[in-house]
Amino acid sequence: MPILELKKIVKKYRVGKEIITALDGVDLVVETGEFIAILGTSGCGKTTLLNIAAGLERPTRGDVIFRGVTISKLKEKKTVMFRRKQMGFIFQSYNLLPALTAQENVALPLIFDGIKPRERTLRAAKMLKQVGLMERRKHKPAEMSGGQQQRVSIARALINNPRIIFADEPTGNLDTRTTMDIMSHLQQAVKENGQTLVMVTHDQEVAAFADRIIYMVDGRIVQEKQGGIH
Amino acid sequence: MKNYDLLVLANKNLWRRKGRTVLTVLGVIIGTASIVVMLSLGIGLVESQKKQMEQWGSLNIIRVHQAWDFPGHEGGQQKRLTDEAIAEIRAIKGVTAISPAIEVGGEARFGRKIGHIMLVGLEPGLMEQLEFSVSDGRLLNQDDRFNVVAGSQVINNFWDPKQRHNPWEWEGPPQGDPLELLDQRLSLTLHNNKQQKRIYNLNVVGILSQKTMERAWEVYAPISELRKMRDFINQGRQDNSFQEKMYMDEKVIISPGRPTPARPAPKLEEQYSFALVRTDDVGDTRRISKELRDRSYNAYSMADNLEGIEEAARRFQAILGGIGAITLLVAAIGITNTMVMSIYERTREIAIMKVIGASFREIRWLFLAESSLIGLLGGSFGIGLSFLLSSVLNRYGASFMNPGGGMMPGSEAIQISMIPPWLVGFALLFSISIGLLSGIYPANRAIRLDPITAMRHG
Ligand SMILES: Nc1ncnc2c1ncn2[C@@H]1O[C@H](COP(=O)(O)OP(=O)(O)O)[C@@H](O)[C@H]1O
Ligand SMILES: [Mg+2]
Repeated sequence: MPILELKKIVKKYRVGKEIITALDGVDLVVETGEFIAILGTSGCGKTTLLNIAAGLERPTRGDVIFRGVTISKLKEKKTVMFRRKQMGFIFQSYNLLPALTAQENVALPLIFDGIKPRERTLRAAKMLKQVGLMERRKHKPAEMSGGQQQRVSIARALINNPRIIFADEPTGNLDTRTTMDIMSHLQQAVKENGQTLVMVTHDQEVAAFADRIIYMVDGRIVQEKQGGIH
Repeated sequence: MKNYDLLVLANKNLWRRKGRTVLTVLGVIIGTASIVVMLSLGIGLVESQKKQMEQWGSLNIIRVHQAWDFPGHEGGQQKRLTDEAIAEIRAIKGVTAISPAIEVGGEARFGRKIGHIMLVGLEPGLMEQLEFSVSDGRLLNQDDRFNVVAGSQVINNFWDPKQRHNPWEWEGPPQGDPLELLDQRLSLTLHNNKQQKRIYNLNVVGILSQKTMERAWEVYAPISELRKMRDFINQGRQDNSFQEKMYMDEKVIISPGRPTPARPAPKLEEQYSFALVRTDDVGDTRRISKELRDRSYNAYSMADNLEGIEEAARRFQAILGGIGAITLLVAAIGITNTMVMSIYERTREIAIMKVIGASFREIRWLFLAESSLIGLLGGSFGIGLSFLLSSVLNRYGASFMNPGGGMMPGSEAIQISMIPPWLVGFALLFSISIGLLSGIYPANRAIRLDPITAMRHG
């Protein structure tokens, strides 16, 4: 059974009197354990697709089925539990909480899950070690470089052992060397744990890390390729 | 999310904007302090009135008098104080003790001094319950017969005829030492209408500590002996007219009333002068006192006066409390404003928390906890400030309002502001609730925030 299925997804936005079609009938099947990259130019609807796939936004038409549950029909209150227990998120702009230290940021999803402080600290430290930021664990986001912040956010996305990770241009703000570093980290982590990774990017080289590359133009999937160059 | 984590996170968020939080808390401090101080003034007023009244009589004691009997108003409809009446009163719910009393007045001797004393017979075992207490010696007990307890002013009834002046002609109140009487003998002389005379030797075993008018000037003895004295005095009596009873003879005063012609009244020797009724609290006192009057008894209690004073104080408190409440309302608006601003600044953070798994409930409580913390902090410091202000008021305000110091010997300094423990609890709960309520609107705004728009444009 595929972990995630998108069926004829249409998403329209009304801006004033105009109606913008961000997604125009997208069908996609994501298999368990797969690393899939969605490649397309800016504005083609990648972020919208990812948000809808993660149940953060509702499609105008079509269904999103996550492990047999049509999450696109659920209320926001219900989708929270899916995100908390089974999904991880990585963003282009890291989206760490500025008031919290690296370790506290990584442990945040566990707080919502009601896990005790002792266990949280242990697990967060372990994750930070994996991304090589143990000595930075007491630092606030503002005191870290972009690459370091993104590694913290990867640690945060992985700490609750999600079945699926959604990554929206995770290397968009990073230089080439850091990009390669982050991508190999991410690839290695999900492969080790048998997790599924759905990543959107406009960067060919980044997409090349994926098992499968989906090409998007103007809200439609136009082509599909096997990846695995790296 | 665990409550503990919620509080830690809320607290952390609160102190990110120190200046703003401090100012908001300050608003609550001022609001709480103004409510507490205002209410404390009202409480101080009632309490000082109560204290003042307690100097004239206990608030837990009702005095039921024998029906008033004077020409033209022969006892009216009032009930007589007989054993039957005592039993009726004892049966009223809330009456914890009752003792009938017989008063007999007469000439007495104390060493070389002479004077007039009023002897009151009570159930000796009930004295403690009836709120008698001694400063020296002891109260009466069941075995006492001619042992008596004297009020603290009784000594001032006596004067030395050889010194040729009456104590009441002195300037100022007489200042005899009450302890002079302790363990001494008083000789009381009673006469009856058969021209017989009897002398009773009474041994003073205790001096009352009470300063009230009712109790300071009387001598208390076991009622069993007083019954005999009364019977002796009534021998040969034919004319029971009011004048005779009250004033005919300075040597013999006995006050039971005359039978009304309308109904067959109990015999004189079956009636008591008055009765003391003990209750457990002011509320009972007031209720029972009223009920006794409804049942045509001549009942009176200090607590009867309290109602008017309390009503006035309530009005006073409502006005003061209202002023305080307005201050706190302003503080509440301040909290809401702070929280709305904070949510505006933290739009993106809220969105992130929602995306990584914070539920509506958790987001809501995160903000409610923050605003409640402001309430708690403001409330705690506000109470601290109130105690400070209250002590300043009591120190400087009291001497301003009462320049002479105490009003009566032995009275304590009056407190114009009082903060009882319940007021502390109330203020704390109130300020936390204000914080919580002020957080509802901002928290709902935070919940409704769409994480996606917030993240795209944040
Ligand atoms: N909330 C929104 N309201 C209006 N238009 C939107 C909204 N979100 C996205 N769009 C539009 O939908 C299209 C796709 O946007 P997006 O998914 O962000 O593209 P990408 O991530 O590929 O750059 C764009 O034209 C964008 O302006
Ligand atoms: Mg995008």
